[in-house]
Amino acid sequence: MRRRLVLSVSLVVLAIVVALSVLLVTRQPVNATSVPSPLVGQMAPDFRGTDFHGARVHLAALRGKIVVVNFFASWCGPCQVEEPNLITFAWQERLHGVVVLGVVFNDTLAAARAFDAHYGTLYPAMADPNGTIAFHYGVTSPPSTFVIDPRGRVVAELLGPVSTAQLTNVVGRVSA
Amino acid sequence: MILTWLGRFALDAAFLACVIGVVAQVRTLRGRPSRALLWGVGALVAMAAAVGVMQFALITHSFSLAYVAENNATFTPLIYSITGMWSALEGSLLLWALILSALTVAVIHHYRADNTDPVVVWATLVLFVVGGFFILLMVGPADPFLPNPAHVLQGAGPNALLQDNPLVAVHPPLLYAGFVGFAVPFAFAIAMLVTGRVHDRWPLEQRRWTVLAWGSLSVGIVLGAWWSYQVLGWGGFWGWDPVENAALLPWLTATAYIHSVIVQDRRGLFRIWNLSLAVATFAFTVLGTFFTRSGVLQSVHAFSSSTLGPALIGFFALTVGAGIALIAWRGDELRSPVGVDHPASREGLFVANNILFVGFAFVVLLGTVYPLLYEAVNGTQVTVGTPYFATVAAPVSIALLLLMALAPVVSWRTVNAKVLWTRVRASAWAALGAVVALVVAGVHHGAVLGAVFLSVGAAGAAVRTLAGVFTSARRRGDWWSAWRAPSTGGMVVHLGVVVLAVGIVVSTSYTTRSEVTLATHQRTVIDGQLVGFDGLANVKNSLDSQTQLLVSVNGRPLRPAITTFNGRGAQPVGTPAIDSNLLRDVYVTFDAIGGNGAASGAQVATNVPAGSVVLGVTVEPLLSWLWIGGLMVGVGSALSFGRRRHRDEVPA
Amino acid sequence: MTRSTFLGSFRVWLVAVVAVGVWAIVVNPPASTSAQRIAHLENLVKCPSCQDLSVAQSTASSSLAVRHEIATLVHQGRSDTQILTAIEAAYGPTILLSPSTGGVGVLLWALPTGVVVALVVTAVVLRRRR
Repeated sequence: MRRRLVLSVSLVVLAIVVALSVLLVTRQPVNATSVPSPLVGQMAPDFRGTDFHGARVHLAALRGKIVVVNFFASWCGPCQVEEPNLITFAWQERLHGVVVLGVVFNDTLAAARAFDAHYGTLYPAMADPNGTIAFHYGVTSPPSTFVIDPRGRVVAELLGPVSTAQLTNVVGRVSA
Repeated sequence: MILTWLGRFALDAAFLACVIGVVAQVRTLRGRPSRALLWGVGALVAMAAAVGVMQFALITHSFSLAYVAENNATFTPLIYSITGMWSALEGSLLLWALILSALTVAVIHHYRADNTDPVVVWATLVLFVVGGFFILLMVGPADPFLPNPAHVLQGAGPNALLQDNPLVAVHPPLLYAGFVGFAVPFAFAIAMLVTGRVHDRWPLEQRRWTVLAWGSLSVGIVLGAWWSYQVLGWGGFWGWDPVENAALLPWLTATAYIHSVIVQDRRGLFRIWNLSLAVATFAFTVLGTFFTRSGVLQSVHAFSSSTLGPALIGFFALTVGAGIALIAWRGDELRSPVGVDHPASREGLFVANNILFVGFAFVVLLGTVYPLLYEAVNGTQVTVGTPYFATVAAPVSIALLLLMALAPVVSWRTVNAKVLWTRVRASAWAALGAVVALVVAGVHHGAVLGAVFLSVGAAGAAVRTLAGVFTSARRRGDWWSAWRAPSTGGMVVHLGVVVLAVGIVVSTSYTTRSEVTLATHQRTVIDGQLVGFDGLANVKNSLDSQTQLLVSVNGRPLRPAITTFNGRGAQPVGTPAIDSNLLRDVYVTFDAIGGNGAASGAQVATNVPAGSVVLGVTVEPLLSWLWIGGLMVGVGSALSFGRRRHRDEVPA
Repeated sequence: MTRSTFLGSFRVWLVAVVAVGVWAIVVNPPASTSAQRIAHLENLVKCPSCQDLSVAQSTASSSLAVRHEIATLVHQGRSDTQILTAIEAAYGPTILLSPSTGGVGVLLWALPTGVVVALVVTAVVLRRRR
């Protein structure tokens, strides 16, 4: 009786350990771009504000254009990597109905301005007082880039540094 | 290049020594004299050489090694150069393997008089296998001596949070000593199962090694909590982070083992269970290294993700599989001739103790892997955080405190309620008195009252036992023997746990967090503490530049700051300042600065006037009791390391 | 009864414990003001830009944004469930520190209970077999 109990418990524990090992071995290391956003397919939360040069910004007023909203911070390495790509993309697409907007995430205003000046940013960037915009977009870490179609729906969220090719690809799917 | 060559040569030599050690042990089993010491020392010397090469490279800032370029800079102070060896993945394996080879030599030397005893031979063989595996990881995928092809003049420096506090020199080595230490009871458990020799002196011998490892791990965990507290800026000390949980799992099963082996010694019970616990504890250690190094779970403590994952999981499955197979094979022969007579006897309470610890270990494991399981099934992610673990930890802790109040004074085998009451009476009334005093003082929190009630009871049981030991020692005229008595260390540990428990419950129930805006020379009162701000100071040295706030708490100066370390992308980190005494800690952080004072690196609060600052002030009562309790646990486990005489079995 | 047997009686002590317990509960001030609801909710939501801190513990601006929203929603009179659902809608399910108990989530509570019950039953069964 004792032997049967020991054997059956051993088999159960062995099965659990094997299952656990298989589960753990098949997991991929966490990758920044793999988190899906609950906003995809929904209407993009509206926001308004003033950009670094004093001009008014209002998301809903940009209906009819494709809007790329990029949440960034000066201290974030991948943001530094992607900034030249965003500038190139914004310049190339400015006559094709695409608007790029930068929104400061978890950073000081002065640092963000310095960041923009350093890279020579050619698109408007604005502050996010109290982090309300970031809250409504569910931004957990920069860089987070949202692509919004001409009807105001969120088409994609890209986490991590974006390349010009990647953006062109995603935006191309919107116009189609 | 020469450093790469030397380091790799040393590692290869160490691996070779382990392999030959295994072969030598097999030959000893067949009748040859034991060569274990020779190969053990060989492996140790080779590992020491490898560590020496790495330390030399770090101290002399030799960026020809990629590891040094990533974790060191020319201005890194000596202490952080030395600790840089374990601040990233490959180097941490060097520390691990060094401690393991030193421990192997210690075990071989300790049992040299029995070095042909099959149990000793098998145990040493297993230790060589484990050591060989971890060294193989460094010979293969996790090479610490990878050369840096680029000729860099400056390194990245250590991670900012790893050069902020000297505890980085103590916490990882102690933690690793604990983890690695559990390989010894595991090795002997395998040896006992293979040879079938479970009955005699070996279980108690294993308890000594386990207590040593357990003590190191306990102090290591408490120091880790203290370090997080001092550095991370949120005023807390435990986040139920996957890596923290990974360190807790072997601690829980080891604690269960330490208790149930006492029963095996006295009454011959729980043989299979104890062997299983020894195997499980070491298996959890390997699983913990997987969580820390595979990148599969997000954690502030995790090293970068790597290809080590499958190898570590394979080793984990192998250790558990071997243990289970051996136990299933030998299970029938290990049957105890007697059983537990009464559930409330001391044996019964130890059973309850084990159920609680092992059950809680299972819950922690489940909560830690649950996000992975959920994602595998559903494709989306969830988080399992503090609310889940805290909800389960609370009743478990209450039950354990109750057991601590009863078990030391309960008899073996029988329960006599009247006798029990006479032993418990004084503590019971003291506990009630303490609760009454608290309620009168205005404390109404149910958890606090309950915890204090049981804690005083547990302390009372421990004090009573200690008093008994010291009194009888004095009567014999030999006061010193009391310190080495079997239960002294354990009771001191229990007292330390009580202090820890009260500190944890009171601080988590009564902590208050506030944000306060102060102009220069302004004072305010928060929770009875007088807080004042007197201006800013910029301090630069070769390692970092700091914007410090001159703050005073009840007249005593504190300097919370924002620190930017040179090198490494220059991200500023908050450096909290703590005013600590026995009654409360006041934890002050530099949260924001007014106006547009961007130069400090702090967040800017646009609604605060220039020249003012926003301070985070957290008042935590009894927080220092955690560190005092941890110290007592360490002292108690050191006392417990003394040799425990194999007691004559309790008569039927 | 003499004084020593009075204090020495277990029953007396037990009655005293119950009395003190009742007294402590009765004197307890009532719970669930707005501030307490907010504090409770803040402990259930993860700080968006941290690893495992709740928004109650973190001072990151993303965390302050969430706390601001929680306070606003509580003062608008929403229920706890509605507030947590709204936050989950913005950030996805990983933002909650304790997963919901529906579906697979029930495992998180059922499995530990099952294991403890199994351990206790095994212990009892083994004792009976003696």
